[in-house]
Amino acid sequence: MILKLALNGLKKKQRDYAILFTGLIISIAVFYMFLTLSLNKEFILQNSVINNIQLVFLVGTVMLSVITFFYLFYTNSFLLSLRKKEYGLYELIGAKKLQIRRVFQIETMAITGISLIIGLILGIILSRVVSWVLMNQLNIGFIQFKVVYLPAVFWTVIYYLVTSFITSSIHNLWLAKISIIELLRSEIQNDLLPEKPKNAALMIFLGLFLLAIGYVALYFMETLRFIGLFTAPIATTLGTYVLFVALLPIIVRKWKRNKKVNFKGINSFTSGQLNFRLSSLKWVLATIALLIALSAGAIAGGFAFKNDAFTSIDEHWQYDATLYNPGAAEMAVLDSIPVEEQLTYRMKLDDEFIYLVLDELNAAPPLIRDMVTYEVVRPDPLPEELEIEGGSQIVSDQWFTALYAINPALGGTKSTRIVPLEEYELAEGEEISIVLARTADFSAHIEEWQKLDELQMDIYPDLVTGFDPETDSVATKYAQFKTQYAIASGTFFMGFFLGLAFLTMMASILMFKILSGANNDIRRYDSLRKLGVRRRVLENSLSRELFIVFLFPGILGLLHVFVGMRMFTFIMDEPYYRLWVSILIFLAIYGGYYFFTIHLYRKIVLPKQ
Amino acid sequence: MKTILQANKISKTYGKKGTAKYTAINNLSFEMKEGEFIGIMGPSGSGKTTLLNMVATLDPLTDGEITIDGISVSSMNEDQLSDFRSQNLGFIFQDFNLLENMTVFENIALPLSLQNKKLDKIQSSVHQVASLLGIGDITEKYPAELSGGQKQRTAIARALIHEPTLLLADEPTGALDSQNAATLLDTLVDLNEERKVSILMVTHDPRSASYCSRLLFIKDGKLDRELFPSGTRDEFHQEILAVLGDLDRIPLAGVRS
Repeated sequence: MILKLALNGLKKKQRDYAILFTGLIISIAVFYMFLTLSLNKEFILQNSVINNIQLVFLVGTVMLSVITFFYLFYTNSFLLSLRKKEYGLYELIGAKKLQIRRVFQIETMAITGISLIIGLILGIILSRVVSWVLMNQLNIGFIQFKVVYLPAVFWTVIYYLVTSFITSSIHNLWLAKISIIELLRSEIQNDLLPEKPKNAALMIFLGLFLLAIGYVALYFMETLRFIGLFTAPIATTLGTYVLFVALLPIIVRKWKRNKKVNFKGINSFTSGQLNFRLSSLKWVLATIALLIALSAGAIAGGFAFKNDAFTSIDEHWQYDATLYNPGAAEMAVLDSIPVEEQLTYRMKLDDEFIYLVLDELNAAPPLIRDMVTYEVVRPDPLPEELEIEGGSQIVSDQWFTALYAINPALGGTKSTRIVPLEEYELAEGEEISIVLARTADFSAHIEEWQKLDELQMDIYPDLVTGFDPETDSVATKYAQFKTQYAIASGTFFMGFFLGLAFLTMMASILMFKILSGANNDIRRYDSLRKLGVRRRVLENSLSRELFIVFLFPGILGLLHVFVGMRMFTFIMDEPYYRLWVSILIFLAIYGGYYFFTIHLYRKIVLPKQ
Repeated sequence: MKTILQANKISKTYGKKGTAKYTAINNLSFEMKEGEFIGIMGPSGSGKTTLLNMVATLDPLTDGEITIDGISVSSMNEDQLSDFRSQNLGFIFQDFNLLENMTVFENIALPLSLQNKKLDKIQSSVHQVASLLGIGDITEKYPAELSGGQKQRTAIARALIHEPTLLLADEPTGALDSQNAATLLDTLVDLNEERKVSILMVTHDPRSASYCSRLLFIKDGKLDRELFPSGTRDEFHQEILAVLGDLDRIPLAGVRS
């Protein structure tokens, strides 16, 4: 009977539950997608490139599960607060506490169950889409990849059921302790009068100071290293909270003090609403600002990472192709693209050493990046006589780098001997030729590099002992790029979906918080309507009020992102690459939530037309 | 004397097509002259609040016509009604309906702000009406900081500031103790007699009703009888009690069906 009543109560609060569902469903779908991409066993064994992405998605799963736990906890307490009065009534008509607690638990689990079904379906579709896009981007086939992967389904279900069981049990304990009178009264609560801010100037100064420290730490992360890594999040977080707590009430107060504006139309009501709302929401808003920074940061970080795969590969490889014993097929490919520089070296291998010709090296020293000055240079000529110490020839650091660039596949396997031509001619062993080629733009000829790698695959087994074409990859710029690009694409998708999931959950918390205050507002809007305020005016007042509420955390959150992206300079070259795209995506989602909130709010507080 | 309110054969029926209908007001007519202080009384469910809401243009009529200050409000659209209310009507409610997120000053000023009056005019009007009602020194407080009596005075100030044609009061003493209720009613009488404010008040309290210059008794959605004060306020009070007793007896006899 109680269950039946509760089901009815649930129906009445449909709207609130719908918001909860969206957050939960998106989270489940993304969680499942991450798990499928990281757990597909046969798929891992099949593909070496994919191995790298999977770790990325596993990290994403962990991050998502932490945030999801807090989200579930918060939403569960919100659910309870929605139903408190109803539970009080059940108790009043004689339901036992135990029955009520059971109803609450069943409700929570049922919600999670329904979300799981929808979320998993969405997750499967999402995995299909993302794997397809990744497949096209990386130019590889996803053989053996299962979109419906039972272990991933299993872990997703387990995680969400256990988490919601834990959170609902905690709230259940709380429900056991609360008295019936408290339950019944819970809906009648007046907004607290906003306090006059104490030491506001000092607080604002402190907030700005902390934020400045945080920003400096973010900006100079490269130099500050560990100090920065700790200072930046702590100072930025504290600064955000202090600033919101001190600054928001001051802004509204200042605004209200402008009487000409305040006493125009419905402005005094709008600012009054804001005054109360901002002071009751300041903690939540500061939290939202930080989470916006995280989610927009995740999206932007993923974007920048993807771009970085192109720029950073050029840092390490000056030559786009390194070909061992190239045949006619390889040369034909090289001829088909505008090569800026092409170098050829000879090499002999015996049981002990790799021999290179001193005169050839000095005649055409390859371009390298100097590890000290970080400039692209050609190494100075080698001396005629090279000292030998501990069995190795001593060469300059620049030549050490150059030798690796010339012979990336075999360089580390044997000791290298750079010898004059006469000595080289006398050496035993088969001669191998190496061709280095450089174009103006590596990324413009990806297909050709891929073709060259495929051709080299036939040569490597004879060249490198124990080379297995099935699992090993050739030592070329393109091969490294492929791996790097796979990780970057993985990071891009992870960042995007992590950001999306964070954003959905955060925005739904903000919506909850605002909408739970809406019941108090019904009376206010009704009074205004009776006093003769046009509906249009009320709607505008509402939109403006919520705009400001959404605006503050949005601005500060984005500011954090603008400064924070700089942090990535020590792992990538252009963290700000196409930042506007990420910002636009973020704004579209956040804006969508704003309009949706307005729509729901209007439905609550304004009478039907 | 000018007629400021005319209700002509008005009816209000609730219930959609096909469902059981309930007639709250049935073919009711009455008139109100400028400067009158009319009380509407009747048992619970007699339709008195419905009547007030219809006069207040909050509840559309099913049938009939209401004219306020010569303007027919029956055919106006929603926006026109809003504007009409904000310019011609003042409201006092049982639970004050003050906006608790605004100061007393802002609450009182709201009707003038809505009409986009100049700031100077708003400030002088608020000060004037606030001191008239004896709340001149609490204008910077929020409603939550006020006593019940102070809240109701604020509500009256807000209802009067734009000098409405008609002041509508729905159980204005309902949430006040007897002392505060008496003070409030004295204020209403003063406003009525000295400033010629026309007041239409719904009340179930005979004591409050005895302050009126005319009483309308509603029963089952119809005008049952009218009553005018003849002697002192106490005598009028006794007379009202007698009428109410009479009205109550009929349902007990089982006539109402």
